[in-house]
Amino acid sequence: MANIAAQRIKREFKEVIKSEEVAKCAIKLELIDDNYSELKGEIAGPPDTPYEGGNFVLEIKVPETYPFNPPKVKFLTKIWHPNISSVTGAICLDILKDQWAAAMTLRTVLLSLQALMAAAEPDDPQDAVVAKQYKENPEMFNSTARHWTNVYAGGPNKNPDFDQKIQRLTDMGVMSHDARVALSTYNWELERATEAIFT
Amino acid sequence: MTDYFEEFNITPLAQGETPNHMLHLARLLRDFGMSPYEFNDELPPPASKAFVDNLEEITSHEPESSCPICLKQFSAGEIAKKLDCKHIFHSTCILPWLEKTSTCPLCRHEFKTDNADYEAYKTHKKREKEREGEIENLHNSMFS
Repeated sequence: MANIAAQRIKREFKEVIKSEEVAKCAIKLELIDDNYSELKGEIAGPPDTPYEGGNFVLEIKVPETYPFNPPKVKFLTKIWHPNISSVTGAICLDILKDQWAAAMTLRTVLLSLQALMAAAEPDDPQDAVVAKQYKENPEMFNSTARHWTNVYAGGPNKNPDFDQKIQRLTDMGVMSHDARVALSTYNWELERATEAIFT
Repeated sequence: MTDYFEEFNITPLAQGETPNHMLHLARLLRDFGMSPYEFNDELPPPASKAFVDNLEEITSHEPESSCPICLKQFSAGEIAKKLDCKHIFHSTCILPWLEKTSTCPLCRHEFKTDNADYEAYKTHKKREKEREGEIENLHNSMFS
């Protein structure tokens, strides 16, 4: 990797370790390899959102042209959010694309992602299904996002009704994640979800 | 107040001159949101060569200050470039960025580019904003 990218990540890494967000456990950064090109990020779900209490893991890949080009970031933890793909974890956020600026750091990226979790942009969606639900049925969106946070990110809020519906489908031999996706997509209507899976 | 021709950013036809229909078509498309310039979702083009060549150089630094791009502290006497927005960077750090786009990496202040289309787009945007303000003023003066 080009020297300037690695050098900068080294300095940023120190900055993040010392930052008050790390002290408050809001963000975390870990090195994956020795040449500073791959990192693991972690952000705590923001309070007063369906993601509260969850811990979300991110894959961060630093290009050789960093900081002149943005890092490549995606969610490894599955999440139900209009601007994050529920399938791949890909993120739709302007600063990770055309609005990147060389003075931004991994710390500001993680904090921006935390802000995105607290304030979605449904008019610029990454996941059209989630964005539609967010706009048309916000309560359903909230409970679905809270359920995903519980299952994948260790959030505290169990939803017995949702768990029971998933159980019904897994009893028929459906993988639990596939059942969850179908039910989430069809506003937890068991009949429509079943139909979607078996046709 | 601006006059009619200035208001619409046009010049009157000379004696015997016929209207430029292509120009009319382009304006029509622009007014209906079909802008021929597609700069909306992109970084602005590179900074102008002349601008980059004439950047102010400084050698004395505030204590403990560092370059926002490489995050290294400036050492005494080290040559750095100062942008119009007063932000200071190593020249090896800021030059590659300005070759990419004409904004300050810290505050996004926009500088001049060598791209004529983009400059026209910028002027158009600015005029549009001004016109909105003028209409607002006019409205307020009529209905207050």
